[in-house]
Amino acid sequence: MAEQPSLIKSVIKKGIIGIIVGAILVGTARALAFPPVFQSVFFGYAMLGAAVFILLDAPSLKPIGGLKAIVALVAFYAVLSGVYIGGASFLPQYDPGDEKGKIEKLLKAKRAATEQGKAEELLTRTKALAERTDALMARLQAVGGAAVAEAPAGGDGAKPAGAPATGGDLVALGKEQWNLQECYNCHKLFGEGGKKRGPEMDNIGSLLKPEELKRKILDPQSWMAEGFEKEYEKKKMPDKYKELMEEKEVDALVAFLSTLKNTAVATPKPIKKK
Amino acid sequence: MKMWQRSFLITLGLLVVFGATVYAQVPNAPVTEFPYTGNRTAVWIVAQLHILFAGFILGAPIFVVISEWLGYRKQDPRYDRLAKEVTKVTVILYSMTALTGGLFIFVLLATYPQFTTWLINHFFLIFAVIYPLLFIAETIVLYLYFYSWDAWKGEKKARHIALGVLLNLIGTVTLFVIDGPTSFMNTPSKAVEGISLADFIQTASLWDKIFNYSWLPLNFHRLVGNVTFGGFIAGLIAAYMYLGAKSESERSYYDWMGFVGNLIGVGALLFLPFMGYLLAYELCDYDASICPYMMADQLSMFFEMQGAMIGLIFLASNYYIWLSMKRIEGVERVRMSALTMLVMIALPFVMTYTWTIFPVPDPKSLGVLLPLVVAPMILSKVIPPLGRITVSSRTFIKVGFLMVVVGNAIWMTPHGFVATQALATEQLELPSDWGFLALMPAKNSAAFTLVFVTVMNYILYNRAIRQGTIVWGKIDFASQFVLIFLAFSAIWTMGLMGAVRSLLRKYFHTYNLMPDFTAESFTPTLSYSAWWITAITLVFYIVVSFAIVVTLRVADTKGHAPEAK
Repeated sequence: MAEQPSLIKSVIKKGIIGIIVGAILVGTARALAFPPVFQSVFFGYAMLGAAVFILLDAPSLKPIGGLKAIVALVAFYAVLSGVYIGGASFLPQYDPGDEKGKIEKLLKAKRAATEQGKAEELLTRTKALAERTDALMARLQAVGGAAVAEAPAGGDGAKPAGAPATGGDLVALGKEQWNLQECYNCHKLFGEGGKKRGPEMDNIGSLLKPEELKRKILDPQSWMAEGFEKEYEKKKMPDKYKELMEEKEVDALVAFLSTLKNTAVATPKPIKKK
Repeated sequence: MKMWQRSFLITLGLLVVFGATVYAQVPNAPVTEFPYTGNRTAVWIVAQLHILFAGFILGAPIFVVISEWLGYRKQDPRYDRLAKEVTKVTVILYSMTALTGGLFIFVLLATYPQFTTWLINHFFLIFAVIYPLLFIAETIVLYLYFYSWDAWKGEKKARHIALGVLLNLIGTVTLFVIDGPTSFMNTPSKAVEGISLADFIQTASLWDKIFNYSWLPLNFHRLVGNVTFGGFIAGLIAAYMYLGAKSESERSYYDWMGFVGNLIGVGALLFLPFMGYLLAYELCDYDASICPYMMADQLSMFFEMQGAMIGLIFLASNYYIWLSMKRIEGVERVRMSALTMLVMIALPFVMTYTWTIFPVPDPKSLGVLLPLVVAPMILSKVIPPLGRITVSSRTFIKVGFLMVVVGNAIWMTPHGFVATQALATEQLELPSDWGFLALMPAKNSAAFTLVFVTVMNYILYNRAIRQGTIVWGKIDFASQFVLIFLAFSAIWTMGLMGAVRSLLRKYFHTYNLMPDFTAESFTPTLSYSAWWITAITLVFYIVVSFAIVVTLRVADTKGHAPEAK
């Protein structure tokens, strides 16, 4: 191979070229309306290119052995470990806190159905009852027997357990299901979410009756959105909600979807397939 | 380690597996709480370590038998020595595989007793009969293969190679068998219409459960991954030995061994992105909601890191070719067609454009890409003066490096620099006109570019060794650190992708079927994962380094193969 220039000269020369190329990339990216984060990344690629070319023309490394080689190895591993951990930590991090509450809600019904869940539920209720009894006893001791009559049946005003949800509650619960089941990943709604995997949903309430919506959720092959033939053939909509969702959750989602009647949005026409 | 000690360790491992299977039948076993790491991370550490050892002992024999066969065919004793040395390390690591495998089941049972019992009961025949029998068969054949090495030489060599092939067959079947429960956890067989998934699984046959959506792609992915891994570890062994070599002949031999190990590793690596793509495709086909979870939401930055790792591995493997070329006398005479270089430059851009218009597997895309790839050959035949325009090997490789950086840049361009799409804003997303850079056609073209450049560099290297002379043992010393880097990065990437595959089950032990009710069933941060992946990689490295030093450096070096020519 050709004669190698000195390392310092090479670093300066290629470093300057890298900066120039990086500046051109940043200028071009800015002109094309790329956000600053992408502009910095493009500059980073230019510098990576410069580093690669510096490495290619670097003088040969002199052989080392014995203890020096072991120290060099350990240092090399330390650098690699540091770079990989640092690199991974430098990237945007997903906050598990966002997911924890969601998972708890999603699994609540399933957990309650297990033996352990039933035991936990019983313990929670017992604990709540004990707390309420303690509070009542404390009030009795403080203000006398009249306070007992004043205390509302529901304690702190919460809705009694097992009471049916009102219409408004059901829609709100349905909206929650929309988010929990991550329907927004495929369906656009209120101008948000969706990647054209599924139809926009803003006007679905005008096109499908509640029982038809329910059928579609539980059996995705029962209806097909016009213009989504390929997605329908490939069974893009997961056939899992009948397993994952409780009946009341499906009903809530249907109630929410039935309220979507924005005719200004062109939700594709559903075609009955089954 | 002596034969009886190894046998003891393997027997211990098997006993733990059997014991665990029996223990799994005991109802309501108490749950253990691992301090500091938590249960999920404890299982993660042991499982990943086991997979790394298992990956090596399944991948290395493929590499070993090919090497032994090459030695027999070419009558070159270096190949035989290489095969034997890698087998020595494999035998030691085999014991570690058994030990970590037993430990894995033990930890799993202690931390997730209900789920483990459920899984073992569903695959009882595999866990209690087929897998242990295969393991015993593999142990017997591996020791037979290793200890008959010197006895079965000369005319009996073919018999020995046949034994090696049998070892690989058993190893591959073992991998395919254990991939059954593993892939089932990601994509449990779909229920027939009218029956719930839980009811269907209760009545499904063992084969129905094994032959699920991701079983075959996982088999292919792991098989190719194991060969890559085996090759890079052989390179690592060579690098260690080169660093400690006392004589020119040793340096010459281990330089050659490093080159061969890297060649096999890179050769298999070329297929790996496509095998990974196939697995991801099947997972998305199984359940479309897996795709956004992987590529756009919680795991999107894991894939960003994967892109960085693949890019670094391709840069390093091509840098090794560059360093290898430097020690070839007469390399300056080697030239390549300028047309090929132009195709190399045009490839990522034309490919991205073509695949965006005609998405894969539309055959029309081949109508554009095939003529592009064969254009240099055809044009140089039709217009000979064009074929005579050439560039030096040095220029060609440098342009190739430029294209590897471009390929990396395309691979690593995300839709948005956000951990999840919910946080996306205009300031963090690609402009809408450039959104195609984050889509699969662009990623595929980036992968093809990396592969194409690497193949071209090896073609160039092949020309160089035909026109010049390799001076073995005179390679730039930095090359040994490149080999070590490749092995370390390959292991790290395996750890990262192993975490991704496990996390794809979301808050389920078995996707959509067996929920994970523990408080740890969330997606951990990439940073947290990186710490553990690094720790696991380092532990694996320490054990492998120890195995190499014990088996090869301490061993008697008498009677080695003649020097490299």
